[in-house]
Amino acid sequence: MAQAVVTTGSSELAPGGHADHSHDTNTGVSNPKLAIWLFLSSEALFFGAFISTYFLYRGRDTQFLKGPTPDKLLNIPFTSVTSFVLLMSSLTMVLALAAIQRGDHRRLRIWLLATALFGATFVGGQVYEFTEFYRQGLHLGTNMFGTTFFVLTGLHGAHVTVGIVWLLLVWSRSMQGRLPSEKSEAVEIAGLYWHFVDIVWIFIFTAIYLIPTH
Amino acid sequence: MTEGTDLVTVPAGETSVGAGTAPEPAAGATPVLAEAHTHPAPRQYVLIAVVLVILTAVEVATSYLEGNVNSNLLIVALGVMAAVKFFLVVAWYMHMKQDSHVFRRLFLTGLILASVVYGILLLFFSSTVLKS
Repeated sequence: MAQAVVTTGSSELAPGGHADHSHDTNTGVSNPKLAIWLFLSSEALFFGAFISTYFLYRGRDTQFLKGPTPDKLLNIPFTSVTSFVLLMSSLTMVLALAAIQRGDHRRLRIWLLATALFGATFVGGQVYEFTEFYRQGLHLGTNMFGTTFFVLTGLHGAHVTVGIVWLLLVWSRSMQGRLPSEKSEAVEIAGLYWHFVDIVWIFIFTAIYLIPTH
Repeated sequence: MTEGTDLVTVPAGETSVGAGTAPEPAAGATPVLAEAHTHPAPRQYVLIAVVLVILTAVEVATSYLEGNVNSNLLIVALGVMAAVKFFLVVAWYMHMKQDSHVFRRLFLTGLILASVVYGILLLFFSSTVLKS
């Protein structure tokens, strides 16, 4: 059980914890962290809508027959590799946070760059996949699979892209020496967003690529 | 591993000295909650990553069983594995196990709301609209 300390505003070191974690707020928790968790909670509803829509329309053969079907298009080995890359980016992200929390700014920058690089590789894979599907005749309006697939994975890809930009901004702040260890929460918040994008992909990958269509 | 938070009160100007030894708050003191985090060590993060990779490999292998195994069983197995991966990332990488209960409740509210709303949506529409 972690020890929380009620103070009158000064920073306290709770047994077994890091110093300076007091939050002089009405809720007693950090406002930026509260905001990001609230945002992620709303994002669960956002992505839930698109994943549900995908499930609603999957297997509607009369619609799928209009164009290329998922079983002819989806390249599971390729997407498995990009999914692996995104999973690894979550590891490098959390290692970046661990680095800044122990004051290791060199490793923080390395892990942040590695995370952004993994994210860019994932988005690159998605761009390649979209291009391939387009060449094979699947567009946004070809059939219900095209619509639900491009909207769901495209929105996720946009989230990953936002995450990459965010990570690079944090990295540049660190390069300029404007990210001391006391401000590790900035990395933690970017990390929370990044991990959320990762867990959304866990479900998208299962829903689109792994669950049998018939 | 720590989980959750306890409250200890410390008056202004004093320092907490350990679990169960903190004094009573001074009169008029405004209580402010301070969270203490004990995040896992990098080694544990790597261990979680290994488990995630193994689970992903098993998931992909399972998907190739299509046609040989009952598809409902396959869907359940894939769903369970995705849920385990979700739990591992949220609990360990997002530190939900160590952070304040407020964040946990907030996030779970969104998840439960999404599950209930879209569960009802799928149940309703899959049995009415799509069967037509």
